[in-house]
Amino acid sequence: MPVDVPSDEDVSAAFGKGDPDALRLLYQRFGALVYSLARRSLGVQADAEDVTQQVFVSAWRGRDTFDPERGSLAAWLVAITRNRISDMLRTRQRDDRVLLHMAAGAATEDPAVPSDQVVNRVVLADELARLPEAQRLVMTLAFYSDLTHEQIAEVLQTPLGTVKSHIRRGLQRLRSRLEADRVTY
Amino acid sequence: MSHTDPEFLALTALGEHAGTAQDAAHLAQCADCQLELERLTRTIELARRDGPVSLEQPPASVWERIAATVGAEEAGQLDAAPGNAVSPEAVRAAANGSGRDVPARVPAGVHAGASPGRAGGRRRRLGVAVAGLAAGLIIGIGGTAAVTQLTRPSASQVVAEIELRPLAQFPQWQSAAGTAVLREHQAALQLAVSVTAPSRSGFYEVWLLGQNGTSMISLGDLNAEHAGTFTLPAGVDLRFYSRIDVSLQPFNGSTQHSSTSVVRGSLPATETGAADPG
Repeated sequence: MPVDVPSDEDVSAAFGKGDPDALRLLYQRFGALVYSLARRSLGVQADAEDVTQQVFVSAWRGRDTFDPERGSLAAWLVAITRNRISDMLRTRQRDDRVLLHMAAGAATEDPAVPSDQVVNRVVLADELARLPEAQRLVMTLAFYSDLTHEQIAEVLQTPLGTVKSHIRRGLQRLRSRLEADRVTY
Repeated sequence: MSHTDPEFLALTALGEHAGTAQDAAHLAQCADCQLELERLTRTIELARRDGPVSLEQPPASVWERIAATVGAEEAGQLDAAPGNAVSPEAVRAAANGSGRDVPARVPAGVHAGASPGRAGGRRRRLGVAVAGLAAGLIIGIGGTAAVTQLTRPSASQVVAEIELRPLAQFPQWQSAAGTAVLREHQAALQLAVSVTAPSRSGFYEVWLLGQNGTSMISLGDLNAEHAGTFTLPAGVDLRFYSRIDVSLQPFNGSTQHSSTSVVRGSLPATETGAADPG
């Protein structure tokens, strides 16, 4: 994990104070999250870049409406991202409709919402990436290898108790993050 | 009596055979532990589906666009005083004024244009002018026009009267002023603009500015009396193109905004649906 990624607390504090550096910190911390959400929801790289730009510009302009009492900065940003993705999907639908009308007079009626599945998985990946190195390694093996926790301890030459506690705390952290980011603004 | 070892639940959720017979017995009859197990299991299923997800870093150009958009939110911010001339209170006040950009308050259907950064005619690379961020925001104060909202008469309806004001960071234009009257006329929207400003070399041009700070639509030039009436493009989304800007353009043949904004004002938020075709 890059060392220059600021902590959520730092970003949140800077943002709350209206620190001019806050936007840069916000982007450093959440740029990949927002972009990945957009990329996975929209597919097209150029659209994902546009959405990412819109999200951070919106967040900056509306930063006074961020209320730490109502949820985390990450949750707030994910909510903005979802809205922007929806807007982009709606725009596309509109364009599609125009094209379809010209071609056959038909219209599609797909709802313009980013899938929860995509959001959850990207949020999860973000939180996983935020775990301390050793813990992240344990969680990755626990999730994606067939190794048991005893085998993980052996492979990593780490005490069994440490592995178990990494797994327990890591899982709880991921679960909390998923639930927190479901906060709707 | 305490619940089962939380590590037992975590390992069980991962699909391991862990814990003792007592743990299993407790789980079988404890709703709390079952619920916890279910939540952990859901998290794990999500993580395992389709294998690991890695986050993608956006290309560096995205940050440049963000910095440029926020920094160059207002034309000509390069001439503006650096951020240290801006009081935090002023920045906060400006940010308050633009709070409607937050998604919860954005009306359905508003979108920020297809390609704000790339399509915007004028795009500045500021190299992260964070000072410029604050300077850019300050304009909100001068630019948020006092809007006189009129009741709608029949015939050629006045939709809004907007006061145009000079921008804080252009001291040379502080004596400038203007008005814009938005009228609905035969199903079209017309904007009549007039400006009082010192005579300078060049001509005045009227623009609609998008909320992303980079998209803009040129409406046309003001005449020798610094006045002009323009028909807005049919279907233009005034919730997005919500600001009116008058620039001083040099006679250099460029069709782009000169970055010298003389006066500016904002359309009232409530009337913005007027241009919707449907």
